[in-house]
Amino acid sequence: MGEKKSVWEHLKAWVDGEEVILDADKYIVNRSKREKKNWRRNFSMEYIRGNVKLYRFLSIAISVLFIGIMLSVVNDLPEFGNPANPADNEVMERYLESGIEETGATNFVAGMILDYRAFDTFGEANVLFLAVMCVVLLLKKDQKNYSAKEEQENREDDFFDENEKRPILQIGGKLLAPLIILYGIYVILNGHLSPGGGFSGGTIIGAGLILYASAYGQKKMQTFFTFRTFTLICVGGLLTYCACKSYSFFTGANHVGFEIPKGIPGHILSAGFILPLNICVGLIVACTMYGFYALFTKGDI
Amino acid sequence: MREIIAAIFIIMGIIVFLLSMFGVFRFKYVLNRIHAAALGDTLGLGSIVVGLMILGTDFFAGAKLFLIILFFWLSGPIATHSIAKVEILTNKNYEERVRDK
Repeated sequence: MGEKKSVWEHLKAWVDGEEVILDADKYIVNRSKREKKNWRRNFSMEYIRGNVKLYRFLSIAISVLFIGIMLSVVNDLPEFGNPANPADNEVMERYLESGIEETGATNFVAGMILDYRAFDTFGEANVLFLAVMCVVLLLKKDQKNYSAKEEQENREDDFFDENEKRPILQIGGKLLAPLIILYGIYVILNGHLSPGGGFSGGTIIGAGLILYASAYGQKKMQTFFTFRTFTLICVGGLLTYCACKSYSFFTGANHVGFEIPKGIPGHILSAGFILPLNICVGLIVACTMYGFYALFTKGDI
Repeated sequence: MREIIAAIFIIMGIIVFLLSMFGVFRFKYVLNRIHAAALGDTLGLGSIVVGLMILGTDFFAGAKLFLIILFFWLSGPIATHSIAKVEILTNKNYEERVRDK
């Protein structure tokens, strides 16, 4: 067995019974461990500098490849402005012709996402709620995942929050945060009349809350926005949405026997369920925005 | 005449924005970069909106544009100031502040 054989020859010899390992136990104890090959190669700077041309060529090649894929896809798209396109079929016509009559909203987008496709929006609101619940699960402090070191760090943070003077940020927050929150409320309440709606208005309100919290510290924020109000608003908004939409779907999804009056299109109290649904979605989005900020900075709302 | 003055203001704003973009990509250290970025947010946006105010004939449209200027000149410097303060308070590496790499 002195001469070198390839793996296949070894295998063939083993199958034929010509080659056995004598005293295998000793061999197993004494054999040297095979070195693990490092599959994750660490590229050193010298290696990269030596192969600049290759990298340039590869980057250009990859870009050209992707541009080619995109252009071929664009080439296969239907022609722009062709009346026989799938985008110009009867669904859009139906929305444009009888959208105001059926939903009562002058903003067609609001009529679409909160009336024709309300289940889809419900799913989106649920996704937001689930995301913030996962963050709460991972990052919120409680007795089990809370060490003394973190406690110490937290106390230092609180100390800085209370004693640090930031007059510029505080005056700015005092002037701007109410205006931002007021504008967000306007966007939510006019969701069925003008561009905007629950998602964008809720994001604006969340930005105002974040500005206030960063200027005045989390402790002052907790005088009116605790974890309890957070869960109440989120769950209450989702349940109200669910109840409203269940009512309209169980009384016949095509608005048969639909009791809520539509009102005059263009007035603030019109469009049936769209206004309360917008308010629910806006509250959920605002809470989610602020919740993410608070959980990632301090681990508590 | 009015269009020409408005065009001068808007082109000036665009040039300031270009310079600020160039600065953001050219500089390496945080304070230099926020200096360049804040330039575009205040002077560039201000002159573009002033040009639009001159261009528009409606008084209330001009008033709304003035509110936009007011909002940005309030919020932009405050944000820049906060970032700079955090950088000064937390970065202990003095060499990085002084020398450019």
